[in-house]
Amino acid sequence: MSGNGAGGAGGPPSIGSALLRVGLALALLFGGIGAGLGYWQVVQAQALSSEPGNPLVQSAARNAPRGRIFDASGETVAFNDRGADGQRLRRYPYPAMAPVLGYQSLRFGTAGLERAFDAELTGLKPLGPGGDMMRKFLSDPYDPSDLHLSVDVRLQAAAAAALGGDRGSVVAIEPATGRVLALVSNPTFDANRLVDPASGGEYLESLRGDRSTPLLNRATQGRFVPGSVFKIVTATAALGSGAIDPATTYPTDEEYDTGFRIEGFTINDSARSFQRDHPLDFYEATEVSSNIWFAHAALDTGADELLASAQRFGFGSALDFDLPTTASQVTSGDGPLSGFTDRVELANAAYGQGEILVTPLQMAMVAACVANDGVLMRPHLVDRLESQSGRVRDVGPSELRTVMSAADAAAITQAMVQAVEGEYGQFYAGGAKVAGVTTAGKSGSAQLAAGRPHSWFIGFAPAEQPRIAIAVIVERAGSGSEVAVPLGGDLMSLYLEIAD
Amino acid sequence: MLLALTGVTLFTGWASLASQQAGQMTFGDVSIPAIYMAILFAVHLAFVLTGRRMDQVLLPVTGLLGSLSLLLMARLPQGSAGLSLGGLELGLAPLQLLWLSVALAVLAILAIAVRNDNWLREYKYTWAAAGIGLLLLVFILPPASSDPTGPRLSLQIGPIAGQPSELLKVILVVFLAGYLAENRTLLARTSTKIGPLSLPPVPYLLPMLAMWGVALGIVIVQRDLGAALLFFTVFLTLLYVATRRFAYVILGMAMFLAGATVLYQLFPHVRVRVDIWLDPWADPLGSGFQVIHALYAFGRGGVLGTGLGAGLPAVGDTPGDLPAVHTDFVYAALGEELGMLGALAIVALYAVIAERGLRIAARAADDFRALLATGLTLVIVIQAALIIGGNLKLVPLTGITLPFVSYGGSSLLANAIIIGLLLALSDRGVEPPQPPSAGRRFRLPARSPA
Repeated sequence: MSGNGAGGAGGPPSIGSALLRVGLALALLFGGIGAGLGYWQVVQAQALSSEPGNPLVQSAARNAPRGRIFDASGETVAFNDRGADGQRLRRYPYPAMAPVLGYQSLRFGTAGLERAFDAELTGLKPLGPGGDMMRKFLSDPYDPSDLHLSVDVRLQAAAAAALGGDRGSVVAIEPATGRVLALVSNPTFDANRLVDPASGGEYLESLRGDRSTPLLNRATQGRFVPGSVFKIVTATAALGSGAIDPATTYPTDEEYDTGFRIEGFTINDSARSFQRDHPLDFYEATEVSSNIWFAHAALDTGADELLASAQRFGFGSALDFDLPTTASQVTSGDGPLSGFTDRVELANAAYGQGEILVTPLQMAMVAACVANDGVLMRPHLVDRLESQSGRVRDVGPSELRTVMSAADAAAITQAMVQAVEGEYGQFYAGGAKVAGVTTAGKSGSAQLAAGRPHSWFIGFAPAEQPRIAIAVIVERAGSGSEVAVPLGGDLMSLYLEIAD
Repeated sequence: MLLALTGVTLFTGWASLASQQAGQMTFGDVSIPAIYMAILFAVHLAFVLTGRRMDQVLLPVTGLLGSLSLLLMARLPQGSAGLSLGGLELGLAPLQLLWLSVALAVLAILAIAVRNDNWLREYKYTWAAAGIGLLLLVFILPPASSDPTGPRLSLQIGPIAGQPSELLKVILVVFLAGYLAENRTLLARTSTKIGPLSLPPVPYLLPMLAMWGVALGIVIVQRDLGAALLFFTVFLTLLYVATRRFAYVILGMAMFLAGATVLYQLFPHVRVRVDIWLDPWADPLGSGFQVIHALYAFGRGGVLGTGLGAGLPAVGDTPGDLPAVHTDFVYAALGEELGMLGALAIVALYAVIAERGLRIAARAADDFRALLATGLTLVIVIQAALIIGGNLKLVPLTGITLPFVSYGGSSLLANAIIIGLLLALSDRGVEPPQPPSAGRRFRLPARSPA
């Protein structure tokens, strides 16, 4: 084949075989390019075509009538309108829905569900498999979808009204399915003002400068000290690890008076004027929210088990949800005790102090998981998408994982029922009682460095067949029993009424 | 025969494009594709009539790439570039047709007229000097672009701006082929040990160092990362082919990496290029804009593409969304409109050029011709790979053109020269070179009839 470079002794090596290797290298090069093409044009194609910066998305937002959004009862919560200048405008009839829906404006972009489902609402992302291939052959390539939410606008509005002028958040979930029934963050913004092309920019600036952070979605991205509502996570770890059983009793006699001393730090139980005659078991300790009991339980359980249980609930990473979420944490440190600085921090973590920070959504998932026999469902806001051409995608319940055994879930439920309905519990979470229905709950008063505590409640009802699980936080409003507990009870009973 | 396929592709594409733009089935104004096909067939006819027995694949492949270029230029918004000559306004497509015609003419003349290679191999140092002079011209003459931070690539003579680095790459290959053919025995056999590497005697390393210097110099003074990458890659590959010593390649790459690291630290334009390659999303509206929007274009194309004329610049009221779409991002535009299948087909066309070129090299009568054919082939193929890879965010984006597809005269001319020479080298009837005699110079006899 080649007449050149016939390398005799001392002659140059043959060029032909080197050419073969160059050819092979070039073949690899072309293969690499092909792989790159495949990556961007097949694997990443859909993601790229849904990015807000893509002119395709902007064009679709201009040209196609955006899908509408309905609540669980069929109420329209977002629709298209014409502004004064004839330009298409988005309208939001229910102000309380802002933390869920966000906004969509040609000038200021998108947020909330309007952002998360932008591709479906504009019709860029067709429903069903193979839809993307077919789209290119159609003369009208856009098939916008309507969203049908699991949120009930009546519960949402009632929760926002109940918070009133207070900063805080309410998240309610249907335990068996993960359907989010309400997701409230207070204060919030007026989406109608924001999408107004004339005054929206000024309004957005004022929102950004507002020190009450109305643009922060507290429900999914606000992180708060949980206080005693975290005891449910501690209980899950302690029971699940086998370190304790419901009959395990703490503390020893002298700790009634002196407090529980650990490495120089003293843990006291507040309001221990009653039940001084015997050591507490798990149910009694939950009922009266004994910090000493849970500190003992956490120390006997160990840092690793506590962290593992919290992680199964979703702590430590952003939650898989329709809106962006911030991760909740058990400890911020990288201390020697599996992240905890020492046993004092671990003991404090047992009752939700220490370095623990949680989102209201995360705590609602804890309550819903106990209510659902220990099985954690993926929370979701969108039940169903329905395109104009009639395609439908249903978002069914989807199981994330089993966090605890059904027996442990039953024990914790019993303890939470006692915390609402027990002889002593009624002084703590008794305000959450839903008339005529067995109610489970746990109050929390999260101590902060200064000022009044965060007022917390998590719970669910009816305890036997839970239909709603809820987490309520009112920032710096006082003890749990004063504010969050009755608020949570009222909202649960309202939901059970309207849902019938 | 293969030319007929080119014709089918071009006319089908043209009709599809015209139909898309008119909103109905039509062939549109077929004068541009008709002229182009007429020129292609004329070139082929000239080859047949002059009795040359050359490679039968290269011309149709080149023609096909050129017709894709015509389709794309006709399809882009015509206001974005163009030339006005004494009141005569030319759009992108007619102008590109003009350049393609000139390029094909140059290709044909070279392929037919080059019957021996004396003038190339005898004067390699003259060629090298001419190349460096060409490079220096850019600094003597006023720059065509007033942007002090952008690449300084252009020579402006009257209304016509040219990029000397396009011609330089051809000259460089000629020089390298000559130098390596002469010295390859020495480079391959002798060595001095430096640590674990065995290197040739120091004097013979100088050209390698000089090449390295030239490449870095191009980056520093011309701000042309793409040309530097291209030169150095071609140089290293040729060096390997000539010596079959992989140590040279390793050493060269190490030197290039070291140089690149220093440049990255010292020169902001290099740093920006690399940074936007690593993470264009860090500045999506600024420096990363082009890269991100090229990826958007690929994403919109998907497997099948949007169809000619249905792609990006026609989206909504955002015309010309992709800057420099007719030069740097032709591949992204074609990837969008023709889809992954079309984009793969384009890659395959360059693969065919590579295969034909290397085959010509393997059949060449002597070392000089083999190295020359290899180098010429590599220039086209590596250049295509660099810009395609840049479009796909596989390598840093550079400002080099996609051979035969990008808009631009100097690029077309230089690549036409390459294909013309390759065709000439492929002719079995071309004069055989005289075998090396006692002297170190090759001496060819005076022309004899083929």
